[in-house]
Amino acid sequence: MTEPLLRIRDLKTWYPVHRGVLARLAGHVRAVDGVSLEVYPGETLGLVGESGCGKSTLARTIMGLEHPTSGEMRLGGAALWPRRHRDTLRLRRRMQMVFQDPYSSLNPRMTILDILAEGLIEHGLIRVRDREAAAAALLAEVGMEPSVLHRYPHEFSGGQRQRISIARAMALRPELVLCDEAVSALDVSVRAQVLNLLLNLRTSHNLAYLFIAHDLGVIRHIAHRVAVMYLGVLVETGPVAEVLDDPVHPYTRALLSAIPVPYSRGRERIVLSGDVPSAARPPSGCRFHTRCPYAVTKCAIETPAMEPFGAPSARRSVACFRATELPGASARIVKPSRN
Amino acid sequence: MGQLLDVKGLKTQFFTQDGIVHAVNGISYTVNEGETLGIVGESGCGKSVTAMSLLRLIPSPPGRIVAGSALFRGHDILALPPADLRHVRGRRIAMIFQEPSAALSPLLRVGDQMVEVLRTHGDMTDEAARRIATGWLHKVGIPDPEERMLAYPFHLSGGMIQRVMIAMAMMLEPDLLIADEPTTALDVTIQAQILDLLRATRQSDTALILITHDMGVVWEMCDRIVVMYASRIVEEAPCEQLFHAPGHPYTRALLDSLQSMNQAGSRLTAIEGQVPSPLAYPPGCRFAARCPHAMDRCRREQPPHQRIGPDHHSACFLAGTFGATRGPRKEAGS
Repeated sequence: MTEPLLRIRDLKTWYPVHRGVLARLAGHVRAVDGVSLEVYPGETLGLVGESGCGKSTLARTIMGLEHPTSGEMRLGGAALWPRRHRDTLRLRRRMQMVFQDPYSSLNPRMTILDILAEGLIEHGLIRVRDREAAAAALLAEVGMEPSVLHRYPHEFSGGQRQRISIARAMALRPELVLCDEAVSALDVSVRAQVLNLLLNLRTSHNLAYLFIAHDLGVIRHIAHRVAVMYLGVLVETGPVAEVLDDPVHPYTRALLSAIPVPYSRGRERIVLSGDVPSAARPPSGCRFHTRCPYAVTKCAIETPAMEPFGAPSARRSVACFRATELPGASARIVKPSRN
Repeated sequence: MGQLLDVKGLKTQFFTQDGIVHAVNGISYTVNEGETLGIVGESGCGKSVTAMSLLRLIPSPPGRIVAGSALFRGHDILALPPADLRHVRGRRIAMIFQEPSAALSPLLRVGDQMVEVLRTHGDMTDEAARRIATGWLHKVGIPDPEERMLAYPFHLSGGMIQRVMIAMAMMLEPDLLIADEPTTALDVTIQAQILDLLRATRQSDTALILITHDMGVVWEMCDRIVVMYASRIVEEAPCEQLFHAPGHPYTRALLDSLQSMNQAGSRLTAIEGQVPSPLAYPPGCRFAARCPHAMDRCRREQPPHQRIGPDHHSACFLAGTFGATRGPRKEAGS
């Protein structure tokens, strides 16, 4: 198998919490608490989870916008952390990010031309006099007219702004693009346009995406593999169709069954009780045990690790002690072949 | 089922520096006793303004209801004097909003806000009101209701506050509950809890208007659906009918784009182009510029609502004639 483009090992990003007049350290919000994952060249890894589960912090840490507390991150063999300013510049050419809110992620005082050309000039990839042509070419890639180059972000709709954000991310010809809820703020009809654009760019530039979304329809459409996150840790990973059609972890099951799907009647629905616990005081043992319908005593004491599930070729992993004994699980257990 | 609400020709406009925004442009619909009506559409289509107009919550200026009537049990609530309106608002028609945390006062305890509502509308002692409020918090599934009565809104999560809002809206046993994107700000597992709760309102004979952009939510919750596009109603139909035999090209395009989402890898069916600006709507059908079936006539004339089945209307010259029945996994006999 090819080498992974992005490899993360046991990554932790904790935020200190200070209390009182002396601002004494009172604890940590464990936003990301030991995540390991890989993204291969040209592959799209979907990252799903509810708000506050740490998926945005994970992306921001990879991008270098937050500092990790511990762990290892490598992009194509080069360590992403620790790094100096010079390394950051070099790494940003290989890795870019598209944010959720197209209204706050574009500088309102810059023209579209400035927004698109800034990175190219900063990295010394074009001469200043070529910037109009370069920016126009980028706009063409995202399906916009060069006539908009001298306009400002407020003159565009949400969908068009997101196209501009994508063009900006493409400017440096990155290998990996982190999309943090990049289509969530868009209406259904426009969302499809932008997703099509991302699919086209993936093919034409052999891009890898780390695609964060809470909409599983979007994930099913764009991702090859999916990772499910709960309260700072991954609970299940695997190929997108397998995980979404046949979830193993109780949290993945509940998440999927909670989503209203048109054209389906009489589905069994698991309604979880209670809220997501605080990441400052995560539950002991398995973090999901406080809401899990299948929890046993062991789940509150020991923390389940991510273990391969099913045949090795399935490339699925689940962090649950009871993965093989849950309802419906026995049918899909394939004896692991010794190799 | 009797008719509870009959909205006719409602027109709400906002008078801004840039011109007149035609936010709601002559829409008519009805709500029957105890039913759940879904109003769907994309952002800016006027679905929230429709609901706010009913309760006369439009900020004025710049907004104004310029035409229309809304008969609620035979009385036009758009023409009621303010004193009478107070008996309808909250008591007979209650509303819950998208941002639950912005809908409660941050300075008052949750219990005090609930007691205030009860005592404003009913003659009761503080103690009695407190008992009723605590009982409702329990009913909407809030743990330790006595303790939560003393909490401030910022102590509670978004899901919890939305439960408080539902308790507040339901405790006066209104005839109609308007829920404007009640779960949009919430996570899916919490959304499932809130939808369950709203479903329970039907058992108490309260009719529900559910405003949302999520087609999955309307499919699960609604008896009838009204589809809005660019400040107008383009289609109205019973739920199954709308999803399996949409009568308007816009509805159809929306469903197609949802559908293609579930087929991995293929190109998505997008609706090309953009929604026209409410400052300058085109003269004919407002969807014509994006419609694959548009004819010259569509760009000149506004299509009237045509009946294409029982309770099924569409504002399209080709209503019911384009495309066949659709929908995946259609079981025989359904």
